[in-house]
Amino acid sequence: MALLRGTGDVDRPLLFVTVLLALIGIAFVFSATSMTSASAEHGLYLKQLIWLVVALAGGAVAAAVPYRIYMGKSAWLLYVMGLMLLVLTLFIGHVGLGAQRWLGWGPLKFQPSELAKVATVVLLANFLSERKLDLTQMGSLVKPLVAAGVPFLLVLKQPDLGTSVTFLTILFTMLYWAGLPLLYLFLLVSPVINVAASFFLPAWILFAAVLSAVLYRSRLRLAPILFVVAINLVVGIVTPQVWNHLKPYQRQRIATFLDPSADPYGSGYQIIQSKIAIGSGQVLGKGFLHGSQKALAFLPEQHTDFIFSVVGEETGFLGAAAVTILYFVLIYRGIRIAHHARNRFASLLAIGLTSIFLYHVLVNICMTVGFAPVTGLPLPLLSYGGTSLLTSFLQIGLIQNIAMRWREY
Amino acid sequence: MLFDPESLSGSRYRQRNFTAVVGIIFALVLLRLFTMQVLQGGKYRELSEENRIRVEVIAAPRGDIRDRNGLLLADNVPSFTVTLDPFDKTYVDNPGLLDSTVARLGVILGVDATLLREKVQHDGRQSFLPVRLRRNVDRTTVAYVAEHESVLPGVDVEFEPLRRYPLGLMASHLLGYVGEVSDKELEDPDRAEYLRGDLIGKMGIERQYESYLRGEAGKRFVEVNAMGRKAELLGEKHPIQPKQGAALTLTIDANLQRAAEQAFAPGARGAAVALDPRTGEVLALASKPNYDPNEFSTGITQERWSALSEGGNFPLFNRAIQAAYPPGSTLKPFVALAGLMTGAIQPGTTFRETCNGAFQFGRRSFKCWNPQGHGTLALRDAVARSCDVYFYQLGIRLGLDRLADFMKRIHVSDRSGVDLPQERRGLFPDAVWYDKRYGAGKWSRGLVLNLAIGQGETSLTPIKLAQLTSLIANGGTMIRPHVIREVEEDGRRVTGLIATQDSIGVRIDLSPAALASVRAAMEAVVADEHGTGYGARVDSVRVAGKTGTAQNPHGNDHALFIGFAPVDNPRIAVAVLVENAGHGSTAAAPIAQKMLQAFFHPAADTLRVVASR
Repeated sequence: MALLRGTGDVDRPLLFVTVLLALIGIAFVFSATSMTSASAEHGLYLKQLIWLVVALAGGAVAAAVPYRIYMGKSAWLLYVMGLMLLVLTLFIGHVGLGAQRWLGWGPLKFQPSELAKVATVVLLANFLSERKLDLTQMGSLVKPLVAAGVPFLLVLKQPDLGTSVTFLTILFTMLYWAGLPLLYLFLLVSPVINVAASFFLPAWILFAAVLSAVLYRSRLRLAPILFVVAINLVVGIVTPQVWNHLKPYQRQRIATFLDPSADPYGSGYQIIQSKIAIGSGQVLGKGFLHGSQKALAFLPEQHTDFIFSVVGEETGFLGAAAVTILYFVLIYRGIRIAHHARNRFASLLAIGLTSIFLYHVLVNICMTVGFAPVTGLPLPLLSYGGTSLLTSFLQIGLIQNIAMRWREY
Repeated sequence: MLFDPESLSGSRYRQRNFTAVVGIIFALVLLRLFTMQVLQGGKYRELSEENRIRVEVIAAPRGDIRDRNGLLLADNVPSFTVTLDPFDKTYVDNPGLLDSTVARLGVILGVDATLLREKVQHDGRQSFLPVRLRRNVDRTTVAYVAEHESVLPGVDVEFEPLRRYPLGLMASHLLGYVGEVSDKELEDPDRAEYLRGDLIGKMGIERQYESYLRGEAGKRFVEVNAMGRKAELLGEKHPIQPKQGAALTLTIDANLQRAAEQAFAPGARGAAVALDPRTGEVLALASKPNYDPNEFSTGITQERWSALSEGGNFPLFNRAIQAAYPPGSTLKPFVALAGLMTGAIQPGTTFRETCNGAFQFGRRSFKCWNPQGHGTLALRDAVARSCDVYFYQLGIRLGLDRLADFMKRIHVSDRSGVDLPQERRGLFPDAVWYDKRYGAGKWSRGLVLNLAIGQGETSLTPIKLAQLTSLIANGGTMIRPHVIREVEEDGRRVTGLIATQDSIGVRIDLSPAALASVRAAMEAVVADEHGTGYGARVDSVRVAGKTGTAQNPHGNDHALFIGFAPVDNPRIAVAVLVENAGHGSTAAAPIAQKMLQAFFHPAADTLRVVASR
C-alpha cells in the first residue's frame, strides 16, 4: 500500500472507489431520467458528467494545498463565512419542500449547510488538537459544543432536521476520536435521547432508569451529576410543554418526521414504493434501464434522493450490495487515514470528514429500505446534483491531502 | 476511564471499535437488502408487476361553525368526488390512453375536456395521489362510473365531506368560503402539508381560522389488482382515521344578522355592523349584496368566478371591513368631542355667525345641508339637527392640528383589529399628510371646514365607525372587535384566542362630562322632534345616534347612521352604510332601527337551534 510505504502518494483505493461511485451515479441518473414521461430531465446525466470534471479538478486542488492552512485563524474565517451564509439563507433562501435550504446565483443553487459542515469539522479539529486540552474537564467541552450547536440550530430553523443532525454526528464522532470517554459521550447525548424518548412514556422511563444507573456507577463528583440530572429534567419538562403550544400543522410536521406513516399524504407511500422497487430487483435485477417501478414515476426525486432504489431495482441484490460495500470501503479508508495520520489535527480532520459521509450514506440508504424516515438527504456521489458532487470531491480531496502527508507531525 | 490526552488521537483501540461499529451497521444494511431482495424478492416482484399500491387520502371534515346561541352556520355533508390517477399502470405503459379517458370523463361529468386535461397535468405533477376532477357528483354519475370501471382505468369515486352553509346567502362575507388551494398559497412554507386540489379557507372566518377548522386528513393503503378491484393492504399499515377540525362558536347573533341583512332593500349595496360596546363582540356583520358560499364548495367555474369578482356590484367584496367611506355627519359627535376635550367650546357655546343656510369663509361660501338655515344653536341642537355652519366654525376654532391630534388619539386612522382577513385602514388627514400630498404649505386652510363635517379626504370602514361609536357608548374604551367566542378542539377549549377582560381594549382618557354632553346630543338626534335620526326610534328603549349623508365622487350621496342603546347602559352599538342611497335619516336610520328592534324585541319567527340534525 502506498500509504504504508510512505511515498506521499494518494490513497489509491479511496480514489478508485470515489470515481467509480461517481460514474455509477451518472449511469443511474441517466437511467432514472430515461423514461418518456421525464423528457424535461433527459439531459441531466450530461450535466452531471460536466460537473464530475469540475469536481475532479476541485478535489485535486483540495488535495494539493497542504492541510496546515486550515489550522488557526483561517478555520475561524471559514466557519464565520459558513454561518453567515446559513443566516443569509434564512432570510433570502429559496423555499424547497417547505424549507429554506438553498442560496442561488442564476442557475446555480447551493446549500450553505454543505460549507458549514466542512467548516465545523475544521474548527472542531482545531479546538480538539489544542495541546492543553483535557477532555475530562467539563469546561473543555464548551467550545466544541457551541461550535457545532450554532450551525445545528440555524439549520434546524430552516427547518431541515435531517441535515442539522449531521452537526451532532460530527461533534460526537470527533469528541470520541479526540479521546472523550464513552461515559461522557453518553451523558452528552442523553438530552437528545431524552427529547426523542419523551414522546413515549415507557421509553422515557427506560431512558431515565439507564441514565440513573450509569450516573450511580460513574463515580463522578456530585456537581457534574446534578448538572446532567438538571439538564435532563429541564428537557423532559420543557419538551411536552413546547409540544402542546405548537400549532396543529407544526405538530404534524414533526410527527411526520418521527413517523412517516403518520403522514397522510406522502412519505409513507414513498417508502413503500421504494421498498417494492428494491425488493422486486431480486438477485440479479431487472436490467439496466429496465426498472418498472421507476417507470411509474412514483417519486419526483428518483434521480436524487431515491437513486439507490433505482440501483436496487435494476441491478438486484448483487448491484445494491456492491454499491453498499463500495461505500463501506470509502468509509473504512477514511478511518484508516485518520488513524495513520501522525498529526492530531489532521487525524481529527479526516475522521470528521469521514463522519459526514458515514451519516449521509447510512441515512439515505436506510431511508430507501424503510429503516429511516424520509429526510431529503442525498446519497453522496450517486445522487444527481452538481454542487453536492463537487462538495463530496472537495471532502475526499481533503482526506487525500491528509493521506499524502500522514508522516508529518 | 484511563485516557491520555497527549497520545495520538486515533489510538488503535478507538480505531478498532469505530471500524467495528461501522462494519456492523453496514452488515445490517446488507442483511436488510438480502431479506428484501433475495428472501422476499418474489413477493415484491409480484407487487411491482401485478398490483399497484395506492394511498387513499380520507379527507377530514372541517370544523362546524355556530352562532353565539349554537345555531349552525357551517357544517359538512357527505358527497362524492370523481378522481383520476394519472400514474395508473395503464397510463404508464401507454401514455396515449390517458387522453381518451379524460375525453370520455369530460362527457360523463359534463366538463370541458380541455379543462380536465389541464387539471390532470397541473395537479398530478407534484403528487402521486389521484387528481380530484369534480366534486359533489350526483348518484347517477357515480353509478355510471362504477358500471364502466373496466373502461375507465384509474378512475375512482371518493367519498369527501362537502362544506355546507345551511343559511345560504346569510353572513356570507363573515363566514367566507373554501376553494382549492392556489399555487401561490402552496409556496408558503407554513402550508407544506397542503397538496394540489386540497380545500382551503379563502375568505372570512374560513380563512382566518383555517389552521383550526382544517382538521387532519386520514389515509389508508389499498392494493389495486389487475381487475381494478381494491383491497385493504394488510400487514403494511393500518388506516389512519381523519380528524375533524375544531368547532368554532362565533359572537354573532344570527337573528340580528338576519334582521340587518333583510333591512336592506333588494339590490342595495352597503354594510351594517353591530358590536357589544362592553366587550367588542361582533353581534352582526353584514355586507350587501351577498353571494352564496355554497357555490364555491363544489368548485366554481371560471365564468362564474369572473361574474362574482368583477360583476357590477362586486358581491365578493366585504364592504363592512374592506371598504372605507367618507363618514359625513356621523363624524360630528367626534368633532364635538374634540371641541369639548380641548376646551375650544363648552356645551353652551354658540358661534358668532348664525346659520342662515351658508357660511362665508374668505371668498368661498360653505353651504349648510339645510338651505333654510338653523339659526343660532348650541352643541346639543347642532348635533341633533346636524348643523354644518356650527361645525364649520368649530373646525376653524380648533384648527387642523388640534382636530387631527384628537382623531389620532382615538385611533381613527388605525385598523379596528377585528379578527377577519383583509381589513382596510381608514384615514383622517393631518398637516403632514397634506404637505406630502400637495407640497409643503400648498393647501388651503379651508380644508378644515370640510373635515369638521366628515367630508374631504376622511374615510372610515363601517367596522371602524362601529368601534368609534362604542368608544362614546362605553365611556372611553377602544374595544377590539372580534368574531370568535370559543374554539373547541378535541373536546377542549383553545385559550388565548379570545380577548380577556384585561385585554378588551385600550383605555383612552376622555372627560366624563364631555362624553355625557355628546351622548345627550346623540340621544336628541333620535328623540327630538327636529332630530334627524327619528327613524331609529325603538319602543321603550333610549336610543342615541347620528345620521350622515356623505358626498362622494361615485354618484349619489352615501347614507350613514351610527348609534347605540340603551343610552344609560349601552349593550349594542351599530354602524350602517348604504351606498348612493341618499339621506342617512331616510335610508340608513331605518336599517339601524330594524337591527335594534330585533335585538331588544325579537320577533316570533326567530332562528332556533334544531335539537338534532
